[in-house]
Amino acid sequence: MNKLLNKPFKAYTLFSLLILLISIPVYVLVVDQIWLRELDENNWLALEHLKKNINSRDYTDDDIANINEIWGELQPGFSIAKIKGPSLPQDSIYEVQRNNAFDGEDESDRFRGLRSSLILQGQAYQITIETNVEEADETLLAIALVTLLFFIVLIIGFILINRRLARKTWQPFYKTLVSLRNFDLSKDEALILDKSNIAEFQELNESLEQLVARNIKVYQQQKAFTENASHELQTPIALLKSKLDLLLQEKDLNPSLSTALNAIEAPLARLSRINKNLLLLAKVENQQYATKEEINLQAYLHSALSLFEDYINDKTLKVKLNLQENITLQAHSFLVETLVHNFLSNAIRHSVLGGELEIELSANTLWIRNSGKTSLDTKNLFERFASSSTEKVSSGLGLAIIKEVANTYHWQLNYQFSANQHVFTLCFD
Amino acid sequence: MKILIIEDEKGLANDMISYLSKERYLCEWAADYPSAIAKISSYAYDCILLDLMLPGGDGLSILAELKKQNKEEGLIIISAKNSLEDKVKGLRLGADDYLAKPFHLAELAARVESLIRRKQFDSNPLITYNEIEIDIQAKATKVKGEMIMLTKKEYELLLFFLGNKNRVLSKSALAEHLSGDFADMFENHDFVYAHIKNLKRKLKEKGSADYIKTIYGTGYRWEA
Repeated sequence: MNKLLNKPFKAYTLFSLLILLISIPVYVLVVDQIWLRELDENNWLALEHLKKNINSRDYTDDDIANINEIWGELQPGFSIAKIKGPSLPQDSIYEVQRNNAFDGEDESDRFRGLRSSLILQGQAYQITIETNVEEADETLLAIALVTLLFFIVLIIGFILINRRLARKTWQPFYKTLVSLRNFDLSKDEALILDKSNIAEFQELNESLEQLVARNIKVYQQQKAFTENASHELQTPIALLKSKLDLLLQEKDLNPSLSTALNAIEAPLARLSRINKNLLLLAKVENQQYATKEEINLQAYLHSALSLFEDYINDKTLKVKLNLQENITLQAHSFLVETLVHNFLSNAIRHSVLGGELEIELSANTLWIRNSGKTSLDTKNLFERFASSSTEKVSSGLGLAIIKEVANTYHWQLNYQFSANQHVFTLCFD
Repeated sequence: MKILIIEDEKGLANDMISYLSKERYLCEWAADYPSAIAKISSYAYDCILLDLMLPGGDGLSILAELKKQNKEEGLIIISAKNSLEDKVKGLRLGADDYLAKPFHLAELAARVESLIRRKQFDSNPLITYNEIEIDIQAKATKVKGEMIMLTKKEYELLLFFLGNKNRVLSKSALAEHLSGDFADMFENHDFVYAHIKNLKRKLKEKGSADYIKTIYGTGYRWEA
């Protein structure tokens, strides 16, 4: 994954590189043009100076020849020589490469020359003046080096600015991110984000706060709905149950009718259990069991075992207990009782006939193990109505209740299937 | 025996009346708070069944009113709320029992019976039915004067049957009576059959008549 800030950084870097690369030949051309124009002017000035001064003296032919010889020796590229013909050639500028006489490594130098002519005492002379010019490739190299240097400075600058931006400017964004990550809808707390002086972040934070506020409202409505719906359902369920009880008392029930009535019992019991569990979940979520007291878990396990004794015997389960004495928890007694009942009824129901039920309790962990054939579907195991079995009696909410109670007290709940055993672990730390 | 049923749901009140009336109970019905208060103030009852959610007032304040009037009626809260707070509060305010909706009518009848028995406890701790005699205090059962050893569950079943004579009791009602609220967590209530079989055997051994009849497909009935 790319960081957001690296995107413009890359783009800026590439763009700078492109611009700087283009700038190199442009600079070279411009510098070269300036060079040449200056040198042409220099040559012209020297020529004019020479013309003016040479005319004011009366040099003989021999003098001129001497000047040519001496000056030509002293100043490379200078010459003044007789030319024939009546007409004077036009002034011209030329460029020439010559070997460097003093520096063998520098293969050749570039010279800029001006060729002109003048008439002294009726004789036409041609004058050439040359000046050394920096070669274009050398200019190119120098400019490229300087440009590279600036490019490096630019990149370093970008990196520094980027870091600073990441640290300062983006700080509110990262804070928001942390708040969102820690947000828990079921805690019923509004999302409060820091004010930011950056318009986009402020807008983001406000939108998020509104979004979360709406969600909390919907969530609360949903919870209230579940609780109200369960309450409303209790009465019709109670009615169904009492009507069924009355129907059973009828004197002339024929066998098919009594079988039908009997068949209503099970789904009605299930309906009643689902409703009770939904109500319980809603209440746990609404933190209606907030009070805590000291709970002796061992006692709760024993009382649940004796309560379920008949069902354990029905399945001829072997119960193995390994309970450490005097393990106490701070929790609501009803929730712990519910948790234990759900754990055990779940284990009993999912055990094979003649299987084993193992309960182990240490200072910070409760293990419930029961023999089974295949692993439960672990993906949505603790989700509501994600029941992984085809049982008719399951409310589909037992494990969800266990999970909800565990969440309430921040206990760690785990399931695994190993050695033909379903193992539920509850860690109290 | 007079019972006052304070319940706003007419259908349920009718069912309770219909079931309880077949026993020796005379039932009256109050559908809301004012009529409940009026009846309580004017008459004496052996037992009051109180729904906490009433139109016109909180059911718990009826409890307070009873206390204020120094009434000593037995009272069972029947509530759809099934909330622990209400249960604790109700019992603290002087209710004798708490039954969460939905319940089996047989369970209600047994609770009423047990409550009335407790109220008369001082005068008569014995329940007798023909050759069967039960000492509530000692939890001892005798047939024709001879002790029989019943397990806790067999003893509870016997009392349950005696509180619901001539009624068909479904397996689920029996299981719920034995295992409490959690019976509906299980599909299979076959253990009820085992307990009843043992109870019948123990009664028969001492020469008691065979009162418990199996009703095919539905449950059991104590035939008086």
